[in-house]
Amino acid sequence: MQFKKTLASTGIVAASMMLGANLAYAACATDGLPASMDGPGGYPERALTMIVPYGPAGGSGQVAQAMAQAVTELTGVSINRDHKPGGSGTVGMTAFMAAPADGYTVLEHIDDASSAHALDSGRPNPAEDLVPLVTSQITFSQIYIRSNEDRYTDWASFVEWVKAQNGKATIANVSKEGSMERVTMKFITDATGMQIQQISFDKGAPRYGALAGGQVDALFEQPGDVRKFLDAGTFKPILTILKDRPGAFAEVPALTDSGLDFDPLFRFRGFYVHKDAPADRVEWLQWAFQKAFCQESYQAFNESKFMNLIESYRDTAGSMELITNTIGQYRDVYKEMGLEVK
Amino acid sequence: MDTFNNFLNGTVTLFSDPIGILIFLGGVVGGMLFGAIPGVSMLTLAAILLPFTAHLSPEHGIMLFSVIYCTGVYGGAITAILFNIPGAPENAPTAFDGYPMTRNGQAGKAVGAAVMCSALGGTVSAVIMMIATAPIANWAIRSFGPPEIFALVFFGLAVASSVGARTFWKGWLSILVGLLIAIVGLDPVGGIERWDFNMPYLLAGIHFIPAILGFFAVSEIFVQAEKKVTGSYRAPELSVDFPSLAELIAHKFAVIRSILIGFFCGILPGIGATLAAFMGYNEAVRWSKDRSEFGKGKMEGVISSETANNAATGAAMIPLLALGLPGGALTAMMVGVFQMHDMEPGPLVFINSADLVWVVFSAMFFANLSILLIGWLETKTIINLLRIPFQFLAPLILCLATVGSYAVRGLTIDIIVMFIAGVVGFFLRRSGYSLAGIVLGLILGRIGEQTFAQAMQMLHFEWSGFFGRPIALALLVAGFATLAGSIYGAFFRRRH
Amino acid sequence: MGNLRIGQIVEAALWITLVIFLFAYSFEFDREIEIYKYGAAAWPRAILLLIFIAALGQLLQQWYRGDEASSDMMEKAAEDGAHEAAEEAHHNTLAWYLYTFAISVIPFAYILVPDWIAAAMGLEKPGLHVAKLAVAALLLVLFIILVRGNQLGGMIALPVLFAAMMQDLGFYALAPFFIMAVMYLMGERRFGRMLIISAGIYAVLLALFVSVLYVGLPTGNISPFYEFGTGMVTILQ
Repeated sequence: MQFKKTLASTGIVAASMMLGANLAYAACATDGLPASMDGPGGYPERALTMIVPYGPAGGSGQVAQAMAQAVTELTGVSINRDHKPGGSGTVGMTAFMAAPADGYTVLEHIDDASSAHALDSGRPNPAEDLVPLVTSQITFSQIYIRSNEDRYTDWASFVEWVKAQNGKATIANVSKEGSMERVTMKFITDATGMQIQQISFDKGAPRYGALAGGQVDALFEQPGDVRKFLDAGTFKPILTILKDRPGAFAEVPALTDSGLDFDPLFRFRGFYVHKDAPADRVEWLQWAFQKAFCQESYQAFNESKFMNLIESYRDTAGSMELITNTIGQYRDVYKEMGLEVK
Repeated sequence: MDTFNNFLNGTVTLFSDPIGILIFLGGVVGGMLFGAIPGVSMLTLAAILLPFTAHLSPEHGIMLFSVIYCTGVYGGAITAILFNIPGAPENAPTAFDGYPMTRNGQAGKAVGAAVMCSALGGTVSAVIMMIATAPIANWAIRSFGPPEIFALVFFGLAVASSVGARTFWKGWLSILVGLLIAIVGLDPVGGIERWDFNMPYLLAGIHFIPAILGFFAVSEIFVQAEKKVTGSYRAPELSVDFPSLAELIAHKFAVIRSILIGFFCGILPGIGATLAAFMGYNEAVRWSKDRSEFGKGKMEGVISSETANNAATGAAMIPLLALGLPGGALTAMMVGVFQMHDMEPGPLVFINSADLVWVVFSAMFFANLSILLIGWLETKTIINLLRIPFQFLAPLILCLATVGSYAVRGLTIDIIVMFIAGVVGFFLRRSGYSLAGIVLGLILGRIGEQTFAQAMQMLHFEWSGFFGRPIALALLVAGFATLAGSIYGAFFRRRH
Repeated sequence: MGNLRIGQIVEAALWITLVIFLFAYSFEFDREIEIYKYGAAAWPRAILLLIFIAALGQLLQQWYRGDEASSDMMEKAAEDGAHEAAEEAHHNTLAWYLYTFAISVIPFAYILVPDWIAAAMGLEKPGLHVAKLAVAALLLVLFIILVRGNQLGGMIALPVLFAAMMQDLGFYALAPFFIMAVMYLMGERRFGRMLIISAGIYAVLLALFVSVLYVGLPTGNISPFYEFGTGMVTILQ
């Protein structure tokens, strides 16, 4: 499969593509793990704390909630979520690193931790300073327009229209320089040769409102985050930022169809524990979080967030590989962009 | 008649379900209590309850939060009046006249006015919300882009600069300091670290909740402690004489004006009830014949601010439900409640979950009405907090404030910031600067910078682009006119 | 004209010092952003400029018109008794300000000094924890000595110290002492009453927030405070 190869070429070791419809019957990634496992020496004898470096309402807050619920269903151990938002995930990471490494505190984090380390190696490396327990969501981005837009209707006419505007066309994007979203937009503008003004929004709702209200011409986002607008028919995707089209968006052109030749970057979310935590506890946590990925409630959650369109699961070794490759990829891009890499 | 039938259906659904009634009552009482306990606010309660809503049905979860919103905005007025501690930023102007009324032994009158006006403003706004949500939301989202919101922020700040400080310059310096504090953290365009002084926790920025608690609650405790040291502390006199109906009817114009202002401000995403309350208060001052009475304990000040902020609650639901755009911290948490149930607020909600929407609407209507009933009862009990000797009340308030500021983001730096704000506030209060101005600058600073940057990006860095957007232009002109008037007054006004 | 007082000149000088300091610091982030040509430093510098103008404008007006409120309404709004209380207590002398400043430095010493020691001696996490505990003990003794001569200064600095130690030592262990200390500084001397009421406040707080509402208050990161905090949480939940 071409799709598989290209993912592998970007450092993403992809398994099979799964489609939402047959997910419930599909074998799940961690079916092979034992159904139960005793913690070492009575561990965990109290509730775990999960530090989430983002607010409860966003993508990370929701995946933390779903995973915590799945782990509790599986093991009976309760998990207190401790949201510490701010600084693009830096603050939660700092608080996590300051907490005792006794295996009672786990961390949720996203690919921003990898790109932050790529930019400044003083920041913790999620693959080396932490032990990834599981990566449970991997997703791609798309470009959206309003469904009732008549100035352009698809990717080709959009590019043509943007070029005719002489740099005055606008697209809503996130407000963090060097983030997955901004780097990908740079790939797209370089590859197409179009000039488009990005408008920076740090929160999701105003970003979507700007497209819905006609303040901007297009929007850069991941499908799970704008699902309500897609289901309502308010927005429609015109470009999928993957080499090949996933089944759920079979009618939307992907990179290869559009003649865009770059390796896509991914949004991924996962769970971590400090590397100094006792090894036998880490082993139990790995089992619990990986096994919980296949809990019915978690699988249903991932499906509702479009997280089943490409393989979303990585175990510890797979996550480390994903993170290490991602860091290398970003470091190359940053150097090319002339950003100061520390 | 559709609207009325929907409302009836919603009401029947709400009150035919025992668990629903329980949650409704819990929300009413919880919002009032957390609003009225000094040091914590409805935001504390909402932040605490958010994870639990996963176990409720979506109707119950959203209904609970909307009820907390209505009663919490009212409850915050109680502490603003009794202790000079606004429960939320939208109650800050209530304290301008409410707290002096308490010191004058008119606590009962002030609280009574807050009860009546909150209920009235909230109820009227709930009715308008039911009728007008869809059309207004569509108008607002199309007409108010970043340039307009920036212009509105500018206008709001220009207006607020003339409230609360001793001179025009001190008013502006207060607001500018607020804007300066808002800069700490990541910049809103590129995520670049600013003024973090190499402390990673500062990257989260300075949140307005700890700042409010520090400036108002903690600094007040220090002032009272100082009075204790000198022996000049006197406990405020208790009074439970509520205002008469005639007194309220005498202020009917203030009430109507504040409802209009409150509702209009509430619709705008990201601005909401805070600006509503400030503008409501400020307009009351502007329209008044004897301006010198304001700030000394004039009931009209309490009436204007409390009517306006409750009128904003219904309006704030409009962009939230119709567009999925939250207007403030509490409505942002409601988005979280929706998302925990795999739902997103937005146009779809009206189609897929019309039942939910109307249950919420009628719950808000009745929550506002119940402020009248439960508010009277609660007020009579909560006012007795003033009887507790201050040396015992103080540590309780400080601990509650500690929990309250920590619960919002789970960061200990927020507790440090709160207490530092308390110390700074304690000294600034001696000097004629406006703490409310600093808080408003802090709240609007980030929105202001972000919408300015977005406006510039949209207008391709051509300032003349504002001329092509009439609403933005009008707001900017109004802001500059306010500013010019104040400067003129500062230099050329004759002393009488 | 010529109505300036020393205090007003000092006030303006403080504003201008702040502006210069922050302006100098703004070069740290004076970077262009690819999609925003004004960059990250433009907005902060514009505000600094406005502060500079406003501080000068204030000085000019004070020179021109004396210390006069802009309007009667504004004069009244700014009066809340804080100024009078300060005068009455003689808490507006330079000596008092300096004394209070000295006490207020203590919490910041706790935030900064252990890290300096750790950096100077190349300490890892366990060593840093020992340094923090030692510094905390030392600063507490210093605080108690200093507070004896300036009760209000102690009252002002105490909450900041409480907050500064919170991440390391935890709410659960610190709160009872904090509550007692506030009562003491507020002039309460009946120790029996203080004990009972502190226990009551502590119990109510924990029961409401930890047992009923499951708020995760800071447990602290340093042993044995960490074990105490997490132990309390386990018992209460």
